[in-house]
Amino acid sequence: MNGLELHQRGLLSLIKGREAPPDDPYLRRVAGSPELAMVREIALWWRAFQLDVQCHFTARLLKRMGTFEGLVAAYFDGHATSPFVEELSLGFLRWLWVHDDPLIRMVSQFEYALLQARSGSPESFEILWDRNPDLVFLALENGGELPAADPASLYHLHVARDLPRLVACTRELVRR
Amino acid sequence: MASVNTTSSPHSKPALATTYEGDDVVLLERILPLIDTIEIAPDAIATSDGRGSRLRPEVLDEYEAALPKVNLIAHGVGLSIGSFDHWDEGYLRLLDELFTRFNLEWHSEHLACTIVAGENVGTMFPMPRTTEALDLICERVRRLQERYRVPFLLEHVIHLLPDAPAEFTPAGFLNAITSRTGCGLILDAYNLECDAYNQGLDIPGFLNELDFRAVRELHLAGGVQHKGFHLDIHSGPARDTTLALGMEIIRRAPNLKVVTYEFLKEAVGLLGHDTICRELRRIRQAIGQ
Repeated sequence: MNGLELHQRGLLSLIKGREAPPDDPYLRRVAGSPELAMVREIALWWRAFQLDVQCHFTARLLKRMGTFEGLVAAYFDGHATSPFVEELSLGFLRWLWVHDDPLIRMVSQFEYALLQARSGSPESFEILWDRNPDLVFLALENGGELPAADPASLYHLHVARDLPRLVACTRELVRR
Repeated sequence: MASVNTTSSPHSKPALATTYEGDDVVLLERILPLIDTIEIAPDAIATSDGRGSRLRPEVLDEYEAALPKVNLIAHGVGLSIGSFDHWDEGYLRLLDELFTRFNLEWHSEHLACTIVAGENVGTMFPMPRTTEALDLICERVRRLQERYRVPFLLEHVIHLLPDAPAEFTPAGFLNAITSRTGCGLILDAYNLECDAYNQGLDIPGFLNELDFRAVRELHLAGGVQHKGFHLDIHSGPARDTTLALGMEIIRRAPNLKVVTYEFLKEAVGLLGHDTICRELRRIRQAIGQ
């Protein structure tokens, strides 16, 4: 590895909060410095800003749960994030599909589908909700209480570019 | 080789440019009477669907409509001319598309690295001022000059991280690039102020050492102070000190053609159209137009 490669790979690791810097005096000096913390803060701020604008509902939900900034940082650290907001957003939302919290999974799946439909994708999506999605979106918009799961119902939320306003929802009563 | 003409000539007044990234026709109509040139950031007007990026045709149409009144120049962000392995071919495809549509007076890029081993770093790493980095940059500048046949300019970026071990001074590194390749320079007055504040750059020493014949464009912008750092976020009017430094650069640069007031699209709501127009008038007056 030549000097420039060592230098740039080392800085990438440091800004992404990955493995300890190699045995290089300059990189050791950068690690833990307030300057590195500032560069990392700016990089994360931009990613958070872009995701906040592009992933409207998911960002609001994560902020209410107090996990937005932490998840943005975790995604940035662990992934090769795209400089294009469209790709960054889709990647972030896809990553949330396996989150432990079912509401985060449902909202992120819906928002992913919505972004795809808005961009003209021919793909159609069905997201199953354990609670009324309208009430979730309303609560995210007006700051009201998020609805709990409704064990008597299953909501089928369809998203496709050909649907009026891109979205349709049907409710299925579930026998328990 | 499309090099910058570095023959000193009697000073003529530089043209005034500003950034415009589309989607705000009201702003465009207000700034057009105040400027001579629009600086286009190809990356900022591009969209990507995962299979590749392309310029947004509706924004290109806005530039087309403005063309009778202004000239166009391009200023990239994402070429990553300094990456140890390779630059971003996707950015060059955007630039190809832009050159196909418009006659650009020149194009420029930041002297930095934004991609490492194929991974976007989320910021700009300045180049270490070493012979190895110099050789890499000069070879890539040469390839750009061959590919586009119009002048190519490099802009120094701010140094937030501690300065890496160097074989050149900041001005000496720029001089080495311009003398070897014939490329031009953009000097950013606010970046210099940031480097002075954050890293102790000796601005008078820098200016005295720099070969000003290569300076083709001057950038002016305003930023913010945060946690003890000056940050080059283009979110405000240029400070009086920045404008004064810009005037000093204009006095020294015999081949300076354009002064560009930069602001981020994301900052337009914060700045407001009135402030942007007021700033353009202020700079226009300062540069003697």
